[in-house]
Amino acid sequence: MHDETSSGAAAKSASSSTQLDSFSYDDHIVRLFALATLIWGLVGTLAGLIVAIILVMPQWTFMEYISFGRLRPLHTNAAIFAFAGNAIFAAVYYSTQRLCKARMWSDLLSHLHFWGWQLIIVAAAITLPLGITQSKEYAELEWPIDIAIALVWVGFFGVNFFMTLIKRRERHMYVALWFYIATIVTVALLHVFNNLVVPAGWFKSYPIYAGVQDAMMQWWYGHNAVAFFLTTPFLGLMYYFLPKAAERPVFSYKLSIIHFWSLVFIYIWAGPHHLHYTALAAWASSLGMIFSLMLWMPSWGGMINGLLTLRGAWHKVAVDPVLKFFVVGVTFYGMSTFEGPMLAIKSVNALSHYTDWTIAHVHSGALGWNGFMTFGMLYWMLPRIFQTKLWSTKLATWHFWIGTLGILLYIIPIYVAGLTQGLMWRAFDPAGNLAYPEFVETITSIVPMWWTRVGGGTLYVAGIVMMAVNYFMTWRNRPGTYDVPIVKAPPLSGGYVDPPGPESRLKGKPVTDFANSLDVWEQARWHRVWERLPVKFTVWVTIVVIVASAFELIPTFMIRSNVPTIETVKPYTPLELIGRDLYVAEGCYNCHSQMIRPLFAETERYGEYSKPGEFVYDRPFQWGSRRIGPDLARIGGKYSHAWHYEHFKEPTSVNLGSVMPAYPHLYTRELNFGSIPARMQAVAALGAEYTPTELANSEELAHVQARQIVKELLEQDPTIPQVDENGVKLADTQLIALIAYIQRVGTDYFASPEDAAAEPAAEGEGEAGDQEPADPAVEAADDPVGNAVPPANQSNEEDQ
Amino acid sequence: MSVTSDPVEQPAEQLVDPQEELLTDHSYDGIQEYDNPLPGWWTWLFIGSFFFSIFYVVYFHMGATGRTIQDQYDQQAARIFELRFAEIGELKLDEATIVQYMNDPKWLSVGKVIYKTNCVSCHGPEGGGLVGPNLTDDHWKNVRKIEDIATVIQDGAANGAMPAWRNRLSHVNQIVLSAAYVASLRGNGATGKSPEGDLIPPWPESKQ
Repeated sequence: MHDETSSGAAAKSASSSTQLDSFSYDDHIVRLFALATLIWGLVGTLAGLIVAIILVMPQWTFMEYISFGRLRPLHTNAAIFAFAGNAIFAAVYYSTQRLCKARMWSDLLSHLHFWGWQLIIVAAAITLPLGITQSKEYAELEWPIDIAIALVWVGFFGVNFFMTLIKRRERHMYVALWFYIATIVTVALLHVFNNLVVPAGWFKSYPIYAGVQDAMMQWWYGHNAVAFFLTTPFLGLMYYFLPKAAERPVFSYKLSIIHFWSLVFIYIWAGPHHLHYTALAAWASSLGMIFSLMLWMPSWGGMINGLLTLRGAWHKVAVDPVLKFFVVGVTFYGMSTFEGPMLAIKSVNALSHYTDWTIAHVHSGALGWNGFMTFGMLYWMLPRIFQTKLWSTKLATWHFWIGTLGILLYIIPIYVAGLTQGLMWRAFDPAGNLAYPEFVETITSIVPMWWTRVGGGTLYVAGIVMMAVNYFMTWRNRPGTYDVPIVKAPPLSGGYVDPPGPESRLKGKPVTDFANSLDVWEQARWHRVWERLPVKFTVWVTIVVIVASAFELIPTFMIRSNVPTIETVKPYTPLELIGRDLYVAEGCYNCHSQMIRPLFAETERYGEYSKPGEFVYDRPFQWGSRRIGPDLARIGGKYSHAWHYEHFKEPTSVNLGSVMPAYPHLYTRELNFGSIPARMQAVAALGAEYTPTELANSEELAHVQARQIVKELLEQDPTIPQVDENGVKLADTQLIALIAYIQRVGTDYFASPEDAAAEPAAEGEGEAGDQEPADPAVEAADDPVGNAVPPANQSNEEDQ
Repeated sequence: MSVTSDPVEQPAEQLVDPQEELLTDHSYDGIQEYDNPLPGWWTWLFIGSFFFSIFYVVYFHMGATGRTIQDQYDQQAARIFELRFAEIGELKLDEATIVQYMNDPKWLSVGKVIYKTNCVSCHGPEGGGLVGPNLTDDHWKNVRKIEDIATVIQDGAANGAMPAWRNRLSHVNQIVLSAAYVASLRGNGATGKSPEGDLIPPWPESKQ
C-alpha cells in the first residue's frame, strides 16, 4: 500500500539513482485459488455433513460408495488438501509476490500448480469412494496420485516459490515467508517418506514399513501434516493478512524468531503421542509426550503475536468481519494448541484416545483456526482481487456469527460425547466388573450428541453458502477489465553490507567474554543476516526438520528390542491377505481399532493387550484412531463364521443399536482371485516368508481355504445358500475372504509353535485340512486355566 | 529498511508512541514489526516445560521398577482381581461349585457382566438365542451335565460355531461364574429360537 504505484497515478518520487524494475503482480492465479478454496470449502464441509448424517442413519448407506468407511477419508482429504490447501495457495501467491516485490517466477508453473492440484483432488474424489486407498489417515491416496502430488508440490509449487524468493526485490524475508519455506520443505519430506510403497497393480500398494514401524511413520506424517499443512502455512497467512487488516505493526519480531524455530524443531518429535499405550516402544511414546508439552509455548508464541498485534485496533474488530474472523481463528488456535499438549499427556490420552474427544479437538482446530482464518483472508481479499467493494459486509458478519455458533454446536456436544464414551469404557462397578460391558451401550448413549453435531455442521455449511453468495455478488460487480497496477522497485544490488552488529548490553559490567557474546547472540542480529539468505535459511530449516525426525525414526527402525519377535506370528495366507485388503478398502479402520492397550478396562473388554511382534506382516498397519465400533485386535475366533455372515448382512440383526452399515455387496461381488499372485509377490518382496510353492499356487490355495470356510459355515448354519440367485458361488464372494482375514486377526499370539509350523505345509499340499487356521481352542489346551501364557521368547520390556 | 536500496517509505501515520514501544526498521509491503521483548511468563513456561521433561524422563525411564505401563497394568489387574475374588478365592471347576453360584444372586451378577460383554451378540440379551442356540429351554446341543457348560465356554464347540474363550477370560472364576449365569438362564421364559439339541435332565439342586 505504500510502494505500489497504481498505473494511473504519477510515479512516486523514487529519487534514488538506482534503475527501477517495472513489474506487476499476478492476481489472476490468486483469483483461481480463491475460487477453488470456496468451492472445495463447500464440498469438503458438505461431505462432512453427509458422513455425520450417515453415522446416525447408517441405513441410508444405500450404496457401497457412500459408506462411512469410504466417505470419511474423502471428507478429511477434501477439508485438508482441497479446502485448506487451496486457501494456503491463495495466501502464498497473494502475499509472496508482495513480500518479495516480485511477480511469481513462472506463470506457467503457477497454472500447472493450480490445475495439477485440482486434478489430484478430483482423482481423490473418484478413487476414495471406489475403495482405492492406502488407509493411512490423510495419506489415503494411492501411489500414482502420490507421485502426482510430489510432482505438483515440489516441481511446480516449490520451484516457483523458491525461484520467486531468489529473484525477489525485497532484501529481507518477512516471517510469513519463513513459515512458507518450512511448509514446502517439510510437507515434501513427510509426503515422500510416508508413502514409500511397493505397488501391486495401479490401484493397490503395500507400504515398505510394517506394523509398529508403519504406525510410527504414519503418525510422524499425520501429526506433522497438522503441523506443516494446517499450522505453519496458516501462521504465515496470519502474519501477512492480520497486520494488513488491522493496520498495526506485528507485536514482536523477536517472538517471531523464537517461536518459528522452536515450533519447527519441536513439532517434528510430537507424532508418537498419537500412539500412547500402543505397541510402540515406551521411549518413543514418552518423547512424543514431552515434546508435545514443550510445544505449548512455541505454539502460543504465534497466538500472542497475532492477538497482541491487535492492540490499538480492537475498535476495528467491532465493525470489521475480517478482524472478527481473525480474532476467533487465532483464539481457536490458542485453545487447540493448549488442548493438544494436554491430550498428549499419557494419562489424559488413556481416556481421550479412540473417543470423540479427538474429533472435537481437530474440529476446533479445523473449523475455528483453519476455517476462520481462511474466511477472514477471503473477505479481506475479495475487494482487492475483484477491485470493487465487498458486496455485503452485513452478510459477512452474519457468516461470522452463524459460523461461530456452528462451531460451538459442533464441538461442545462432541466433547461431551468423547468424555461420556471414554468414561463408560473404563467404568467399573463397586465389585470390580465393567459397568458397561456391552460396547453398543456406549454408542447409543452418545447418538443424541451426534445429532446435535449434525445441527452445528449444518450451520457452519450455511455460513459458507453465505460466503459463496457474497463472493459471487462481489465478483459480478468487478470492473470490465481488471486494472493491473505497475509496481516499480529496484533489483537487489550486489555487495550489500549488513549494518554493524550490536554491542553487548553488558559491556563494561563485570562479566565474562562468554556472557558478552551470549548477549550479542541473544539480540539475534545473526538472524537478520539469515533473513536475506533464502538458500541458507531453507537449508537450516531442512536440517532442523531432518535431525529432529532422525532422532526418533532411526532408533525405531534399528533397535531390535522395540519389536521382540513372536515365533508363532506367521504371514497371512493368500485368501487372508486379499481379505485384509478388502478390510483396508472398506475403510474399516475408520471405526475399528486393532490395538488393545494395556489398560485393565480394555483387556477385560477385548482380551490380551497387543504386542509389537504381532504386527510384523501388517502392511499397512490397521491400529485405527477412533472406536465407533469395538476394537478388533482379538476378533479372530471370537465369533463363528455364521455370526459374521449374519452381521455383515444386517448388523442390527445380531447387535441391536449398532451404527455399522450393512455390506450387501460383499455377498454378491466375486473376489478377484486373479489379483492374488501380484499381491503375494509384493508382500513377499517386502519380507513375508512364503515358500515358492505357496507363491506359485496362491490362487489355488485361496480357493481351497475359501471352500473350507464355506464348509464350516454350512456346518454352523445349513440354511445359508451356497449359490445366490445370480449364480455367484458363496466360496467365490468377497465376504468369505473378509471372514478368512477376520478369523485370523490376533490369533497367532496364542498359537502353539508346532501348529504354526504345520499350518502352511498342510495348505501347501492343497489339502482341505479340517483344522481352522490357528484356532485358539486347540493350541492353548495345555495352558493352566485362567492364564493365557504368552509364547516363548516374548519379552514385554522394551526400555532401551 | 536500514539501507537506502529500497524506496520504501515509513507509513504516514505513526499510530504508536515510539516512546513506549520500539519499532524495528522493518517494513514489508507496509507491515512493520515492534522490537518487543518476549513476554516473561511465556519464557518461563517454555523453560519450565524443558525441566518438567527432564524430570519426567528420569522418573519413568531410568530403570526404577514398577513404573512402566506394563507394570502398572499388572498392578491394576491384581488389584481388581483381588477386589473381585478376594472373598471367594480361586474357584474349582466342578458341578457343586457351579450349582452353588447359580443360586447366589450376588455372584451371579458378575457372571451376568461377563455374559453381557461376550455372549449377548450370539445368544441374545436374555439368552433366547440369535446366531447361537437358545439357552433358556431344556434342549442343549453340547451339554449333558451342568459342568459341560464350562467346558464348552473354555474350548468352544461345533467346529468354531461356539468359539473357545480360554484365552479371553483371564481368570478361572470368570469361567465358573459365567457358566453359572448361563445355567441360571434356563427356564427364564425369554422368547427366542426354537429348541435345538437334546432334551436333558434338570440341573442338580443346590446342596446348601
